[in-house]
Amino acid sequence: MSSLSILKRGRSLIIRLFCVSLLTSVCGVGPKGTATAALLRQDQTQTTIKPQSPANEEFKFEKVDLELLEQVNLLDRRFEREGLVLDDQATVAYLNRVGKSLLPRGLKLENVSWNFRALRDPQPNAFALPNGSIYVSTGLLALMDNESQLAAILAHELTHVLRRHSYLQNRSNRKKFLTMNIIAAVGAYAPGGVAGAVITIATAVAPFIVIATMYGYSRDLEREADLKGIDMMLAAEYPPEEMVNVMRLLNKDIEGENIRFFYNDHPALDERIKYLSSYLGARADVVTPQMELNREKAAYFRKMEPAMRHDIQLSINGGRFRSAVFLADRLVDFYPDSENLFWLAEAYRTLGPRTEQLAEKELTNSAKKDAAKKREKRTVEEEERELLATPAGQENWKLHEKKAEELYLQATTRENPVAVAHRGLGMLYEKLGRSNEAVTEYQKYLELAPAALDRERIQKHVEALRRTP
Amino acid sequence: MIFPVRLRNSRKLRIVTFAFSALLFGGLSPLAARAQFLHPKITSKEVTVRKIVILPAKVDVVRDSMKGPEGMAAESEELSGRVERAVAGVLGDQKHINTLSAPASSPASADAQGKYTVADIQTKFDELLAKVMKKRKDVKKGRFSMGDEVLNLNVDKTADAIVFIRGRGQKLTSGKKTFVMLVGGMPAYLIMQIGIVDAHTGDLLVYTDPVFAGDPTTAVDRLRKALEKGFKKLPAISQ
Repeated sequence: MSSLSILKRGRSLIIRLFCVSLLTSVCGVGPKGTATAALLRQDQTQTTIKPQSPANEEFKFEKVDLELLEQVNLLDRRFEREGLVLDDQATVAYLNRVGKSLLPRGLKLENVSWNFRALRDPQPNAFALPNGSIYVSTGLLALMDNESQLAAILAHELTHVLRRHSYLQNRSNRKKFLTMNIIAAVGAYAPGGVAGAVITIATAVAPFIVIATMYGYSRDLEREADLKGIDMMLAAEYPPEEMVNVMRLLNKDIEGENIRFFYNDHPALDERIKYLSSYLGARADVVTPQMELNREKAAYFRKMEPAMRHDIQLSINGGRFRSAVFLADRLVDFYPDSENLFWLAEAYRTLGPRTEQLAEKELTNSAKKDAAKKREKRTVEEEERELLATPAGQENWKLHEKKAEELYLQATTRENPVAVAHRGLGMLYEKLGRSNEAVTEYQKYLELAPAALDRERIQKHVEALRRTP
Repeated sequence: MIFPVRLRNSRKLRIVTFAFSALLFGGLSPLAARAQFLHPKITSKEVTVRKIVILPAKVDVVRDSMKGPEGMAAESEELSGRVERAVAGVLGDQKHINTLSAPASSPASADAQGKYTVADIQTKFDELLAKVMKKRKDVKKGRFSMGDEVLNLNVDKTADAIVFIRGRGQKLTSGKKTFVMLVGGMPAYLIMQIGIVDAHTGDLLVYTDPVFAGDPTTAVDRLRKALEKGFKKLPAISQ
């Protein structure tokens, strides 16, 4: 194309160039994508790890890397200070045990101190900071089925740190003219809720790191982390096919939202499942007794139960009501004690007039986009009011309030009943206009939990209900 | 030719030129309060804000260089504290509103549950803020509320309102400053988003987003002036 015609098409070309550069940098497609496609075709027959990054011993720290390290250390502290990290010792100890079991013995890396933490975030995600801090969201912890899947996630993240992917990506991004625009684009797509908070903080503290760690590295680096992760799993006696299974779990779109985190986008999950399955090949045939143990669901659920319950609360707070029902249902299936029953009841009460699962037509791209636009504008209360004005919404609400009531009542009558079940019943009855019953349940709650944090709030509800005729 | 010939030297031309200059000046003015919206309960004086609790501010600044933005974590932290104190100062001096101590103001000593409660309420405000930004005028209709979950913060019982502060800004390196002067682009600035929420009902009583141009890490006077403008419409309480 002549330079004259380029000038004539200047505007559209600039827009196109911007889009291509954006995709190249954020998703690793474009020219690089062509190479990846060729590699993937090769994968159909035989997949091998071709290191895309230097081995850690070859890595030499430069000024720019040390600056990044300093910012990242501050990021860690800020996550903690702002209450974004789950402060549960048992969960943290478990994450550290699994994470450290994947590392080669005696390994020491310059400027790396391993820390495995749970992030209070209902969106399924995980990321690694170059200083060795690895965060797994409670949303992801609650979604997984066994320890091997957790090991798969951690092995992937560990590879990013071991291979210094963040530093490499940071150096590369700084050279790119359009980084500013990418960051602006990332900011525009930042989801709400805790995940949004994490991204906002990260964008401010270490703008370059947000692209790589939370939205994905280049496609080649992601691929390297996936394949190296499988080797690490095998070495630690975790069944490697669980890496593929966890990818399938992440493919579930319970909320009908485009999760723009790398597990979904970098590269596409279907593609990752394909090359991972190809790489597994005969590796998946090796089964040791330890591997069988690591696949056990009950053991994982026992360890993760507190984090899972915490995540249900976060899901409800974040308006992810369908996820809350899905996760609470899994917990009740596992162990139907009064606390788990309470959480399922809470999930149904707050689900209100919504459907329990999205219909197929709601999962199309255009429907998801429409829903996302509405979510941006409408408050949860407005959405509920709109739905309750429809016969389908009313029917859903009737069904869910009935389920919630039954579950709350079971939670109050089981062994070791939980006081909060009375509060839940009170809220349900209040919404149904059964004022006297609501007051009775609230009072029971206040008697059983005199030091509750929400005491003042519940007392105000009681006073208001007493005032109403 | 910008204006039609018949407009030249006419009164209309002078008016248009004046209006254009005023707009240009207004836009480039280092101090500008973009918008202030009050809940009907405030305008009708059904609710009066006398005592407030300010939750930890979240103000983030980046250093914009020719190689892109760089984080300023330590400076952001310091600035957050400064903005918090400036808001308290402006509301105290101009509107005679008392600032009470915030819950879990020393998060290191706070228990996990208390820290989570503050974090969750802050997150809830962020979610509401995104919706407010879509239609800020609806604050005047009393459309936005955080619900009575704000009571879980267990702030001082005498507090009338809780203040949430968000901010973002950038300072420029000398290279970038020169680039901006020659080529154009965003100058150094700080934009804040401040919400005052009823401590009992969670209703968003006041929303304002003061902004100023200048280095956010050093421009103390501009910060104060921008805040004064930002709270201009909020009625002062009688002493």
